[in-house]
Amino acid sequence: MPNLSALIFKKNMNILYFELLKLRKKSRGWLGPILVFILIMTAFPLTVEFLNKDLEQAFFSILWIAVLLVMMLATEDIFLEDYNDGSLEQLVIHTKSLSFIIGAKILIYWSLIGVPVSVIGSIYCLGITSSHETALLIFPVLLISSYIFLNLFCFGNSLTLTKGSVLGTLITMPLLLPLLVVLGKVVIAINLGLNYFDFLILLLGVLSIIIVIIPLIISFVIRAHLE
Amino acid sequence: MTMTYLFKAENLSYKINEKKLFQNISFEVNSGSAIHITGSNGSGKTTLLRIILGISKPTKGFIEAKLTSDICYLGHKNALKQYLTVEDNLILQNLKLNESVYTLLKDIDLYDKLDVVVSSLSFGQQKKLALLKIFLNKSELLVLDEPCVGLDDEAQSFLTSFLRDELDKNKSIIFSSHINLNIDAKSISLNI
Repeated sequence: MPNLSALIFKKNMNILYFELLKLRKKSRGWLGPILVFILIMTAFPLTVEFLNKDLEQAFFSILWIAVLLVMMLATEDIFLEDYNDGSLEQLVIHTKSLSFIIGAKILIYWSLIGVPVSVIGSIYCLGITSSHETALLIFPVLLISSYIFLNLFCFGNSLTLTKGSVLGTLITMPLLLPLLVVLGKVVIAINLGLNYFDFLILLLGVLSIIIVIIPLIISFVIRAHLE
Repeated sequence: MTMTYLFKAENLSYKINEKKLFQNISFEVNSGSAIHITGSNGSGKTTLLRIILGISKPTKGFIEAKLTSDICYLGHKNALKQYLTVEDNLILQNLKLNESVYTLLKDIDLYDKLDVVVSSLSFGQQKKLALLKIFLNKSELLVLDEPCVGLDDEAQSFLTSFLRDELDKNKSIIFSSHINLNIDAKSISLNI
């Protein structure tokens, strides 16, 4: 008799592989948001006459807003495509744990969009601040915040699956504002050398809750849409 | 001898905004038997199939299933990714590309289209590709919503003979179709 845990592991790996295959082949789905991020980060110093010090101060605000915008773009049709072509229907019929698949989908989006954006963001941080220490400290914050943003935008988009992503974004905005406030505080903490790890743990705590709850909620929302 | 049912629907009713689509539909599906759901456009055939699949809930009534495997379903939407090739879509449907898949692909004239993007295929070819997972199913119950739409005569007769074989293998089929599939099936009309 085949080992049950091995079978479950194989099935889960298949789900991840299928999601990776879909997103990898849809280059506009992952490359588009990354290019938008690069465009924003490259264009912003060119458009205003900042002194180097001012540039440093404005940089982090632009960075967080750019990450937010890119994650919003990335999730625009994350469920819509599957809904339109009938894949979601098949998933609901054949899958016991829809929330796991949704979690896997978000993870793949984060791996292909969130991680590169975090790396590129850290490189820009190094370029602007000329401090590799700051760039290193900002990298995990970018990783965590991009994952949180992705989850929240996915939630918003699932709520308005058939109504367009603008409404979904508007619904999600109030949930994102506290996170933006925390990200602002993280930058102050890095600059002053205070409480950085406390903020990092806070963000990790938020992420660990969101990572479990959001896919579960989305699975219920999607079932309701299909009904 | 009493036959045990595989799937049973009891007094199913469904209404949308106080408009009754159908009411008190009851039927049993036994192993090796087929049910043909008929009705005019908008009579609720797809809704009834979605209730059978557990996607929608009936306003009244209940269903009972004694299935030991997943239901194999093909609806109006083909669940194909338009930007992927035929081969990639087969992989996504968890189909291993072995001899039996290649033989079927040859039978439905898609063997030489493995590296073609699905959006380049005609509607009928896309339908055939979607039917492939039905041809390779390991389920006890097949649920098909208008499976013949877009298929040419040759493909329709291929599908009909496949479904007959499935019934001979003691599998059950529930389908809706405006085109008469020449298989032995009990008919349920949703026309009031």
